[in-house]
Amino acid sequence: MFVEIIDVIISGMINGSVYALMAVGLTLIYGVSKAFNFAYGSFYSMGGYLAWMIFSVAVINSYFIIFILSIPVLLVLGYLIEKVLVAPLRKRDDWEIKVMMITLGLALLLDNSYQVLFGARMKSLPSILEGSLEIGEFILAYQDIVIFILSIGGILLFRWFLNNTRTGMSVRAVAQNPAGAQIVGIPKEFVFSATFAISTVMVGTGGILLAQKYFVTPTGGWDILVKAWVITAFGGMGSIKGSLYAAFILGMLEAFVGWYFGMTWVLIALFAVLLTTLAIRPQGLMGKWG
Amino acid sequence: MDMDWKRNSQLLMIIFGIIGIMPLFFGSTNFIMHILIMCLIWSVVASCWDLIMGFAGIFSFGQVAFFVIGSYASAIISAKFSVPPIFAVILAGFVAGFLGVLVGLPCLKLKGAYIALVTFAVHMILEPVLKGDIGRAIGTGGSRGILTIAPMNILGYTFNSSDPVPYFYLMFFLAVASSFIILAVIKSHWGDAFLALKDSEQFATCLGVSAFKYKLIVFALTSFITGMIGGFYAHYVGMLSTRMLGIDLFVTLMVILVIGGVGKFPGAIVGSFITIALNEMLSPLGSYRPIILGAMVIVLVLLLPDGIVGLIQKIMPKKKSGKSLIA
Repeated sequence: MFVEIIDVIISGMINGSVYALMAVGLTLIYGVSKAFNFAYGSFYSMGGYLAWMIFSVAVINSYFIIFILSIPVLLVLGYLIEKVLVAPLRKRDDWEIKVMMITLGLALLLDNSYQVLFGARMKSLPSILEGSLEIGEFILAYQDIVIFILSIGGILLFRWFLNNTRTGMSVRAVAQNPAGAQIVGIPKEFVFSATFAISTVMVGTGGILLAQKYFVTPTGGWDILVKAWVITAFGGMGSIKGSLYAAFILGMLEAFVGWYFGMTWVLIALFAVLLTTLAIRPQGLMGKWG
Repeated sequence: MDMDWKRNSQLLMIIFGIIGIMPLFFGSTNFIMHILIMCLIWSVVASCWDLIMGFAGIFSFGQVAFFVIGSYASAIISAKFSVPPIFAVILAGFVAGFLGVLVGLPCLKLKGAYIALVTFAVHMILEPVLKGDIGRAIGTGGSRGILTIAPMNILGYTFNSSDPVPYFYLMFFLAVASSFIILAVIKSHWGDAFLALKDSEQFATCLGVSAFKYKLIVFALTSFITGMIGGFYAHYVGMLSTRMLGIDLFVTLMVILVIGGVGKFPGAIVGSFITIALNEMLSPLGSYRPIILGAMVIVLVLLLPDGIVGLIQKIMPKKKSGKSLIA
């Protein structure tokens, strides 16, 4: 029993760390540009498929090279999608709903393209690091440790980027006050595109990391979109710190509910918690209105 | 306002007049009649979605969920309690309406993307619920779905899906009725209240417009109509599965709204006929169809900002009264 509970806590921590990486990406776009990206889950699958392609087509067996190769692809793709699809909509009155619609269309387009290109069968990736750490009764796979470290590392890197680079600081400025940022000469349009691109990279790398634990499927991203969405709403949309806490709380909740009641209850439990939270605190844990 | 109401109802009558005579040409082709019936069904669902999203400004993404809830509810009520389908359908409407209010309640405190999340959440959890233990206990048949549903029966006349013309006129009657209800809502003081709330919620509430009341009413009304039409759908097709909850149908409905124009009411009806017909034409393409559907959303959102109705408005400039041809 005790060992099992520790196992559940560990798996909750590991899932929580990857969810944190992906939820931060989602909350970033919302916080900066108030746009909501329905295709977010499809970028998760894209990460997985990119890694799979590099593995099986290019026969490269190093995760280091996979990250080096796929991150620029995701970055450029995210940037272009924002520039071509989302940016032209911003001038309209009802752009919020139109952005949701266009990204939903994009999600359908991408998911079914994966299906046509790669087939409906699940793709699996080799483990990033074989073997496991055994302390007494506990077994901790090295793979999980690496996933945890890389996710946390990714978030720390992102934090460093926001606080210490010029682009990062302009991202924060636009999030705080778009008009003010524009007055002092920050290129708002570029910041919108850049944040979209960064968030694409975050969810895509999340996809690469989780693809080795779970599988890559054409529609696997929806689960992730919903979870990342629940996490950001729970933590407060636009609040990065809130998303971090929320990711670990909900990752834990998921692990415990999945272990005790079964996986079918996970989504229901997540929504129950979210609805209760929103009923009491409509802005989420750490969000602000506006 | 009166002029507007008159013009819009005239427009609706023209649209439905054209639809109503279609069986004269296609009545003998069951395949086309089936498509026309589906067009009518989706036109109602899309119009409801337009009412809640386009007019009331509530980003509800739960419309397909309420449709599925209504269809399952009607199938289960008619099978388990041997209620005649026509009453089961109305009860299903009330089930969906009640759930709509239940979902609407937390949404009233929320804004934009949060409402989209909560309502889409209903959509996302519906599948595991219907497939899981809870669903099986109610009688959804789990992942197999419900395979036999009693056909619609009104006053002793049984509608048979192999004879589609009576079915067509049943759905036609429903579509006409719900369209005029929706038009009445849009053109009544409710519609003005929605418009005021959408433009500036703070100012509207200061003037004494109750956001709470109107938003809850629109949730109840749209989910009631959507659930009821879902019930009619269930008795028409005779079987149900959770496949309807796939993102495919959801996006198809969205294409209807994009083509028709968001917040351009009779547009959704025209949009549904164009979209469903187009979708049928694309079906030989198999798995490429959803790709084209997705690409269509993208292109149409970018190029057709206000749908077909908006395009017509642009081509035919506004009358000098300042009021547009179609509100």
